[in-house]
Amino acid sequence: MSDTIRLVVDGEEVEVPTGSTLLAATARAGADVPTLCHDPRLDPMGSCRMCLVEVEGQRRLQPACAYPAMEGQVVHTSTDRVERHRQVLLSMYCADHTLDADGLPAERALGNQLRAHVEAFGTGPTLPPIGTPRAGREDPNPYIHFDPDSCIACARCVRYCDEVEAVSAITLAMRGSSTTIATADQVGLLDSSCELCGGCIDTCPTGAMSEKRALGLLGADEETVRSTCNFCGVGCQLDLHVRDGEVVRVSSPPPGTTVNDGNLCVKGRFATEFINHPDRLTVPLIRGDDGELHEATWDEAIRVTAAGLMGVKERYGADALGFVSSSRCTGEENYLVQKLSRAAFGTNNCHQCAAT
Amino acid sequence: MERKGARRFQVLDLLQEEGGAAAGTAARVGAQTGVPDADVYGVSTFYSLLRKPGRRTRVCQGLTCKLAGSDARVAALRATGEEVEEVSCLGQCDRAPVGLDADHEALLWGEPGSISPADTDLPMNLAGDDDFSFSALARARELGPNAVIAELKAGGLQGRGGAGFPAHFKWNAVRTQPPGDSYVVVNADEGEPGTFKDREVMLRRPGLMLEGAAIAAYVAGAAVLFIYVRGEFKDCIRSLEGAITAAADHLDWLDIRIVEGHGAYICGEETALLEAIEGRRGMPRLKPPYPTESGLWGKSTLMNNVETLACVPSIVTRGGDWFAAQGKTEPGSKLYCVSGHVGRPGVYELPLGVTLDELVEAAGGYVGTPQAFSPGGASSGFLPMSFRDTPLDFGGLVKAGSMFGSSGLVVLNDTIDMAMAARHGLVFFEDESCGQCTPCRVGCVVQRQSLDRYLETGDASHLEHAEDVAWEMDEGSICGLGMVASWPLTTAMKHFPAAFEDRTIDE
Repeated sequence: MSDTIRLVVDGEEVEVPTGSTLLAATARAGADVPTLCHDPRLDPMGSCRMCLVEVEGQRRLQPACAYPAMEGQVVHTSTDRVERHRQVLLSMYCADHTLDADGLPAERALGNQLRAHVEAFGTGPTLPPIGTPRAGREDPNPYIHFDPDSCIACARCVRYCDEVEAVSAITLAMRGSSTTIATADQVGLLDSSCELCGGCIDTCPTGAMSEKRALGLLGADEETVRSTCNFCGVGCQLDLHVRDGEVVRVSSPPPGTTVNDGNLCVKGRFATEFINHPDRLTVPLIRGDDGELHEATWDEAIRVTAAGLMGVKERYGADALGFVSSSRCTGEENYLVQKLSRAAFGTNNCHQCAAT
Repeated sequence: MERKGARRFQVLDLLQEEGGAAAGTAARVGAQTGVPDADVYGVSTFYSLLRKPGRRTRVCQGLTCKLAGSDARVAALRATGEEVEEVSCLGQCDRAPVGLDADHEALLWGEPGSISPADTDLPMNLAGDDDFSFSALARARELGPNAVIAELKAGGLQGRGGAGFPAHFKWNAVRTQPPGDSYVVVNADEGEPGTFKDREVMLRRPGLMLEGAAIAAYVAGAAVLFIYVRGEFKDCIRSLEGAITAAADHLDWLDIRIVEGHGAYICGEETALLEAIEGRRGMPRLKPPYPTESGLWGKSTLMNNVETLACVPSIVTRGGDWFAAQGKTEPGSKLYCVSGHVGRPGVYELPLGVTLDELVEAAGGYVGTPQAFSPGGASSGFLPMSFRDTPLDFGGLVKAGSMFGSSGLVVLNDTIDMAMAARHGLVFFEDESCGQCTPCRVGCVVQRQSLDRYLETGDASHLEHAEDVAWEMDEGSICGLGMVASWPLTTAMKHFPAAFEDRTIDE
């Protein structure tokens, strides 16, 4: 079998690796094929039907996200048939979605792909809202909010929780127009197997899954600052979303761009309250003879610490000392701690608190 | 991703033992099977016989049951204080009205349906008896797999489940897959409104179907045979179990497993059925790959309908040419289900391609003045009587803009409001949509609500988008359910436009 195959997309010949989907092939050709249920980290589901394209020889339109690219295929991504399909489909989505005053799918959280598609491709007939009740749940968890009326049941969150996190705290439940996202018996996330990683928020295309504390806030009004998570040594990249000098939410850079491949854990995504907390230490403090803590410079603090440690060593020997590093340290920092322990003070009493 | 050692295939049976989706059930079944609790909950809420725990009587709300007075039954039951749930078609249209008791046993309130008189020259001959000699299986072994497939091809056997796909293609596709585990699955999840032929085969000739399935397993080289039977057909399951016992001497090489359905029309779709056997929500898979290539647990799988397999023994013993000659316009005989406004509703084995008039003549004639008919269950929509001479076969009905489907014919006389008749079809598909793809999940509701608004107000403009929505459901849906779910409405609008004009509503 050849390593690559060639096919024609909108009249342009493209070459893609064998085993590619039509979505990869259409992207190679620069065609704008919209998706909703597609996430490159997940197995294709093909359920949102946004990416249907015409494949010559196939009677039915086919989902580009799942359909295999084959040698010699001729694919069309913007025929009248495909355009009409997208527009009437988007009309249906709008009939089952929270709309804003302009009749567009309401903007939410970090963006609503459905709204973007409506703006890009337009809609067909204006259909009355179907108003089908879709179950949500009372959920006292502090971080993750689910709005069933903004959900399009694409199951990206469910598949992410299963395929990437291997947690499976949530599921597609009920059927037909009542299909919703649920936990077992609709318990709150804290009572489920959920680890509150928030990956469901990250993958949700419409913002139906969003950060509780940023509810009602739109990402478009926020400044984004790229940073490195300091909770452990992995080095996950974070995008801090800053509003009025405060971090209101954290997201991951897109999959495939950084070491964390679009993923974050509960700490990286949600544990940001310390940033602006009044108890947070921002300068070194040294306890004076008066028994109170006083602000100091790093040079002073290091000097006092070194003198104290050397004093212990001189009076009781090196093995009276022990060095414990934080689980938030990187491998390099841990190396330096053991170097300090062994070379500077002469003891093997060194430990890393995550090493048990 | 599945946990190592998880016994997912037990999930549905355990949920049934637990009595459905009550609080705590998902955790217990999850602990027993190794399937995540949430996943079990998602499965339990999908199936209508599981999703609402508790005991109650279910009454069919299908069109023929409504015509036969099911509303009065519901009212009478409720008057006695009984809890009643109106449910999708129960597949007993010839005996309407019908229900299911709290143990899921059928409640047959109507007259028993008719069948064709016994005739040994009929390929299936429902009025005949199973002899359990399994001589056709012995003959198949003499012929060998390739010759059996050749006879199927000569016999022109088309899949009787609804698609009419030539059986020999599927059999050959499984045959040409690389050697390894393969499965044969009998699709006995009959659920198309107006259809009850497979039920009669399983009740009257379970041995015949079983022999056909055994021949399929022999040809496919399969050691395991699954029979997926609709959960509302308890009597069929007992009948099949009896036949398996009676045929035990001939089938010791085959592991036969009956899998019970739990209330989901969509599981008649072959890939949704595979999902159900595996213990998942019955949502159709994307094709390709087709089940012959990657089916049950990813293995090559041959799936045929009950009636299709019941045709196989006679094709093997009497030859494909003989079977083909039993047809009129297309090969073979066919089990036609007839209900609605006819004298003797029932199942009639007739040459494939008879006309409506010929069929209804066998079924005791029309009751009243016929106005319309559904040629192949709710999915086929409605045709006016001007099509009474159209051959009832796979090709002829497609040309008529309809489809033969599962050959569940429902005749409606001129006392019926076609808009109301269309509504019954729409309600059925709305209830049975799996909800996976948007065109079907949303479209079914849009269509039914539009028709309701028209019926409430008499204002025909509520139906102005029906064609657009139907077009997208056909183009965009994953499976056949969504593709045809608008047909009851759009075909009625096309052929009976007067029933959808502005009308005055009596207050």
